Amino acid sequence: MDKIIFHIDVNSAFLSWEAVYRLRIRGEKTDLREIPSAVAGDVKKRHGIILARSTPAKKYGVRTGDTISDALKLCPHLVMVPPHYDLYESCSEAMMEIIKEFSPCVEQYSVDEAFCDMTGTVGLYGSAVVAATLLKDKIYNELRFTVNVGISTNKILAKMASDFNKPNQVHTLFPEEIEKKMWKLPVGDLFFVGPATKRKLQALGIHTIGQLARTDPDILRAHFKKYGEVIHAFANGIDLSEVAAEAPPNKGYGNSTTIAFDVDDGSTAKMVLLSLAEKVCTRLRADKVAASVVAVSIVDIYFRHSSHQMTLISPTNITNEIYKASCRLFDQLWDGTPVRQLGIHTSKIVCGETYKQINLFDMNRYEKLSRLDETVDEIRERYGDDAVMRAIFLDGPIYHMAGGISPEKRKPKYKEGVSL
Amino acid sequence: MLNMPVDVIATFNVQGKIKPNYIRIEDEDHTLQTYKIENIIFSREEKYAGMPAIHFCCNIIRENCEQMIHLKFYVNTHHWVLVCDG
Repeated sequence: MDKIIFHIDVNSAFLSWEAVYRLRIRGEKTDLREIPSAVAGDVKKRHGIILARSTPAKKYGVRTGDTISDALKLCPHLVMVPPHYDLYESCSEAMMEIIKEFSPCVEQYSVDEAFCDMTGTVGLYGSAVVAATLLKDKIYNELRFTVNVGISTNKILAKMASDFNKPNQVHTLFPEEIEKKMWKLPVGDLFFVGPATKRKLQALGIHTIGQLARTDPDILRAHFKKYGEVIHAFANGIDLSEVAAEAPPNKGYGNSTTIAFDVDDGSTAKMVLLSLAEKVCTRLRADKVAASVVAVSIVDIYFRHSSHQMTLISPTNITNEIYKASCRLFDQLWDGTPVRQLGIHTSKIVCGETYKQINLFDMNRYEKLSRLDETVDEIRERYGDDAVMRAIFLDGPIYHMAGGISPEKRKPKYKEGVSL
Repeated sequence: MLNMPVDVIATFNVQGKIKPNYIRIEDEDHTLQTYKIENIIFSREEKYAGMPAIHFCCNIIRENCEQMIHLKFYVNTHHWVLVCDG
């Protein structure tokens, strides 16, 4: 028997969620979804890109990922609102709860997307389209934002279907409909085909998904290697992956931050590294894992990217140890050009109890540091991340736990009225 | 006009039912006014934007005149909010 897979996708998620919040919680009168508007970063902090835009803004040609100045050139009266990640989390969680009422097998694919295996439960609702419409309406009635639902027999087709016509719609894309509904689309619309691949495919004379599907896989393999087989299969609607209700364990933990100013001295850069190490190690410790490989990445003011990595003697999640390794890597890597962005990434993750290679010179120290980290984590867990911090960060320009979502992006400051 | 945070005196019964009894709002002259909630017309649970809330539609007497108002209690943050125009 064929499977029935749903793909649920929130229509311009960040913007919809902010619109609902402003209308329903704050009591504002304008619906951001009906005017040219966008969720955008803070230009002053150099986070100046469009994160999501409304359908009216799309008509002006504003795209996600555009810089704010480019967007304003296209649409001078674009209304821009800051991001609000706490809200996105609560909206996302509430949506997942509703989806899980329809089927036990739900894979959260991103903050605003999910796959749902309806094979066993679709019978409860009559047909797949009825179930999908019910799900879409339930999400709207309870949470007040719209979603698209794509229905098919596997994940790739369901995902393609949810992307057809927006907003607030249900589409099917069963294997027998591929030719009619998917093959006429431009090849850039296919999942997994980015702008670079699109250009290469067009150079080969492949402009639609149908042309890609009918291309000899050997030709694609010659140009794209293994990836060519993947997109050829996708174009033919073949995808064997299952809806994975449980997320696979993380293969690596990393954080990076774009600094609000150009860093031209090593000591400031190392402060940033310390704050990143703090963040990464807190995450490692929260998941009770340790990392054996540390990598540092630098983006300089000319947007040149470089990185460097090393393997530690034994896996660790101690902030000081990762920090020390990062500093060594940074010193080896940095050529003195002012730095725009720094990152620490750890990999070769080891689960559970690890055995430590004791070093002759700092015996016992690791145990102490580990206990210190544990205590700091506990304090932060109870009283907030800012309850305790290293003195070096006091009154400084660098937040003591850089990377990830910074506190001001979690909750923007509204001028007046309620904000929850 | 935006929704406005308000002070509320409410009772919680043994079944976990919540009933607002009095609200206190700042008027145009910045003085605090207290109003008794005469009766509750209906209440319902909402979860707009994933934020659970209990919506109360109730009557108060203001200037010898019965007036219908909408209050919301946000379950996660424990805020009471007066909704403008229901």
